[in-house]
Amino acid sequence: MEITLKINGAEKKLNVEPRTLLVHAIRDAGLTGTHIGCDSSSCGVCTVVLDGKTAVKSCTMFAVMAEGHEITTIEGMAQGGKLHPLQQAFHDQHGLQCGYCTPGMIMAAHVLLQHNPNPTEEEIRFGLSGNLCRCTGYQNIVKAVQQAAQMLQQPAGAAADD
Amino acid sequence: MKLEYSGQETVQASTEKVWSFIKDPQKVASCLPDLKSVEFKDEKNMVATVGVAVGPVRGSFKFNIELDPRPEENKMMVRIRGGGLGSAVDLTASADITGKEDQTTLLDWQGQATVSGPAATVGGRVLDAQAKRLIETVFANMGKKMSEV
Amino acid sequence: MAVQTTNLEPKGIQGLGKAIKRKEDSRFIVGKGNYLDDIKLPGMLYMALVHSPYAHAKILNIDASEALKIPGVKAVITAKDLAAAGLSWIPTLAGDKQMVLADGKVLYQYQEVAAVYAETRQAAADGAAAVQVEYEPLPVVVDPYKATAPDAPVLREDLKGQMTGAHGPRRHDNHIWTWDVGSKDETEKALAASEVRIKQHMVYPRSHPAPLEPCGCIGDMNPATGRLTVYMTTQAPHAIRTVLSLVTKIPENNIRVISPDIGGGFGNKVPVYPGYVCAIVGSIVLGAPVKWVETRTENLTTTGFARDFHMDIEIGATKDGKVTAMKVYTLADHGAFDAAADPSKYPAGLFSICTGSYDFQKAYAQVEAVYTNKAPGGVAYRCSFRVTEASYLIERSMDVLAHELKMDPAELRLKNFIQPQQFPYPSALGWTYDSGDYEKTLKVALERIGYAELRKEQAEKRARGELMGIGISTFTEIVGAGPSKDFDILGIKMFDGAEIRVHPSGSAIVRAGTRHQGQGHETTWAQIVSEELGLDVDKIIVEEGDTDTAPYGLGTYASRSTPTAGGAMALGARRIREKAKKIAAHLLEVGENDVEWVDKKFVVKGVPGKSVTMNEVAFAAYTNLPPGMEPGLETTYYYDPPNLTFPHGAYICVVDIDKGTGEVKVRRFVAIDDCGTIINPMIVEGQVHGGLTEGFAMAFMQEIAFDEQGNHLSSNFTDYLLPTALETPKWETGHTVTPSPHHPIGAKGVGESPTVGSPAAFVNAVVDALAHLGVRHIDMPITREKVWRILRQAGVDSF
Repeated sequence: MEITLKINGAEKKLNVEPRTLLVHAIRDAGLTGTHIGCDSSSCGVCTVVLDGKTAVKSCTMFAVMAEGHEITTIEGMAQGGKLHPLQQAFHDQHGLQCGYCTPGMIMAAHVLLQHNPNPTEEEIRFGLSGNLCRCTGYQNIVKAVQQAAQMLQQPAGAAADD
Repeated sequence: MKLEYSGQETVQASTEKVWSFIKDPQKVASCLPDLKSVEFKDEKNMVATVGVAVGPVRGSFKFNIELDPRPEENKMMVRIRGGGLGSAVDLTASADITGKEDQTTLLDWQGQATVSGPAATVGGRVLDAQAKRLIETVFANMGKKMSEV
Repeated sequence: MAVQTTNLEPKGIQGLGKAIKRKEDSRFIVGKGNYLDDIKLPGMLYMALVHSPYAHAKILNIDASEALKIPGVKAVITAKDLAAAGLSWIPTLAGDKQMVLADGKVLYQYQEVAAVYAETRQAAADGAAAVQVEYEPLPVVVDPYKATAPDAPVLREDLKGQMTGAHGPRRHDNHIWTWDVGSKDETEKALAASEVRIKQHMVYPRSHPAPLEPCGCIGDMNPATGRLTVYMTTQAPHAIRTVLSLVTKIPENNIRVISPDIGGGFGNKVPVYPGYVCAIVGSIVLGAPVKWVETRTENLTTTGFARDFHMDIEIGATKDGKVTAMKVYTLADHGAFDAAADPSKYPAGLFSICTGSYDFQKAYAQVEAVYTNKAPGGVAYRCSFRVTEASYLIERSMDVLAHELKMDPAELRLKNFIQPQQFPYPSALGWTYDSGDYEKTLKVALERIGYAELRKEQAEKRARGELMGIGISTFTEIVGAGPSKDFDILGIKMFDGAEIRVHPSGSAIVRAGTRHQGQGHETTWAQIVSEELGLDVDKIIVEEGDTDTAPYGLGTYASRSTPTAGGAMALGARRIREKAKKIAAHLLEVGENDVEWVDKKFVVKGVPGKSVTMNEVAFAAYTNLPPGMEPGLETTYYYDPPNLTFPHGAYICVVDIDKGTGEVKVRRFVAIDDCGTIINPMIVEGQVHGGLTEGFAMAFMQEIAFDEQGNHLSSNFTDYLLPTALETPKWETGHTVTPSPHHPIGAKGVGESPTVGSPAAFVNAVVDALAHLGVRHIDMPITREKVWRILRQAGVDSF
């Protein structure tokens, strides 16, 4: 069946089966930054943002359920050639190693910071506990989210020192 | 994963009625819950496809069911082997059938099942409860249908 | 075109010791990594596998007719089809062989039975579900101690009656090998003469690396050229190419292995798996590219497990705490095929590092491996070939000994450390440790955590009935396999290669035979070359993973990249510098002997102002050479390390235990590592954080478990628990630096130290918290339930 998904502001017509998971539809549309890591909605590497405000593990949704919603993936985070503060902060704080969990982690953190612009370390750890990382031990991810929170609270243009 | 169950059921039907019911694969098959299709091979064997949901493991299982009535021993044996969704089930059950004076019949049954694959591994936590419910449903259906005969 | 030759910014040279940000991040943070499943080739087919529900069963019949009726399904193959191509079995790294698809019987649950090829991922999965397989179940062997019982069923009927295997005599059909090292008689004598002896049994349970990216492969045979391109999630692309050539008989020049970005490996992506072979065979047979990406369940149930060592140790000591001798017996559960990823001469890997950081005069270790109805493996999970098991064994045992002697575990360790002046230190089990200063590292850790105060606090808390424990681990690793005289895999020596090409404008491309999976090679290799050649680090690009372009090498695992390829990188750069020096002399119009390399420039001796940079030399190498000199500025260097490296560390863990629930809370964890010269402190710290988290996972959460029928009880992330940000402790890291005397830059490797060293620290801390209740040992994973049961049995009040 043919559906239209709005991903990162662009409409994509996709031919999917009723059982096609959203993550497969996104990846088949050429946006491979959203990854697949488990079969049980445990790992969070497929996390995307729905309608700008809800983090969703895109393996828990059928593609057809996403029609009419706006989907944001990691590819939609940088704007006008400028990295999103979260992307910059993950780089600055060494918040990634193999990079496989990074897109999902950034999307989950993105929603976390919307709901709680100034989270404590514990709130960050709790907020990201649906996303697994095997490389970093999370410590630098937490630091990255803290840095991004600061950057987002600064007025535009007064970004990080680098 | 090995499962063992036993129990006693009193059916509101005479022993003759019970025997004529359980010797008939068509009637037995009609008691299986969520039966999708059944193919009768001969008067003892059938292949039944049954809907199964064990935790996250959901879909159809295909079972070879062999009925082995032994009226001379007042005993009914059933062997079930099959599976689906990468899982396998081997089940042997027997029931001692005793007629009561009040025209009811006592089924004193026991069964052993070995379950392998995702139904056991992923569904392990709920398998026991699900299996019990399945057995209860089969007996409830049988009791109801036998008393209707 | 303007060529910059002179305006080299001093800050551009970011050599050793600089915490520069990673070059590879740029693609990952924007979702433009290129992992295996991101690759889509024209006309590509998808493959799915049929798995066995039984752990041990005869296969009576395989019926693919229903599968072939499904629209889009192209073909189904079984062992019979593979046999026609001579590929139904493949050799393992350990000298055994393994089935690709089940040949007549299945030997473990989820074993691959058939492969289905289809036009879409969905059709392949539907096809696999529709293949009907008839089995006859057989008795199952799950417990390794029962594997060699007289009445145990024969698992490997292909080896039945063969009483010699790849590593010597076999004493039972389910016995694989027995390996030992050290002097048994002398050790037993020394033990008998010891004033104090302890014995302890401990299990390092079966675990799984579970990188977040599962394994996968795309076979792409081009029927027109006969050239096979294989995209594979592999940590060792060159070795894979050689093995593929040997197995498929395709000439090695016609095979190109590309290892794209890898989403974590941790040893999981070293072996060759049946899925890889089936994807390649499918491509050859069907004439189209075939992609296979495993599901998480396939990953956890069929690909390389780790650990599963069942260990018994006996240690002798004097009354005042000086160790005298150690005797170890280990039973290794290798599953259905011996597919352990170890160097050929070492079937139990580097387990004989089990004397650790201590000066044992006598030692003897014996390891026996057996077959069971479990998946094969024995991969070095963030570990240098069984060093994790060895390290856990000795570090746990030192605490058992301290308990027996009623000595502080720090004091016992300080009393027995190998001393700095003893290096190079020959161990009782045959290794020559390169360097170390164990006492210094432990003292830094004790100071940092405030050990004396913590012991005081513990005593006060214990008096109040509160449970608090302190655990120490002062481990020694053995990494960097390795010197070619001892180390090979399937005969291939374990050196590694680096190629460096300096371009005319002073930029460079660097290639290595290693393959990073998150370790940051694209940054650290560039730093080594920047340091050695004085080039701008941002102008050095690093490339790994394509066998058509990279020099040969054995790959990235066992913390070997820095000790081997890192050495090749430094020495290759120095070889370039030798040539550059000649060019510099030419440019400076002096003799070669009048030129020296100072502050990353060629300077005329005694004339500090007269110098040329490497940028200028690079330009001259293509434009203005001394007469007769071969143009260009590049080299390929193969480095065969003279010895292994021996990183070490001192870890201290503090735990608090909830009396009511048995929950263990890691309050603090201080990790002082000594990995020799540090290339990039930020990356080293990141590696330590990750490794500690995996050590934590093994101590408290991760276990691949089975029931009596061989059902795999940890087949997904809801059953096989990985730590999230919430339970992961906050790590406190630090360093001492004792360079390796033989490594070109003194580096030792660090990626695995924390996974190797930390589990004992966690377990020691928990046991320490419960020691007054009579607890001497608890096997991992230390779940709340285990602790809760111990507390209830000991009659501890919940409140």
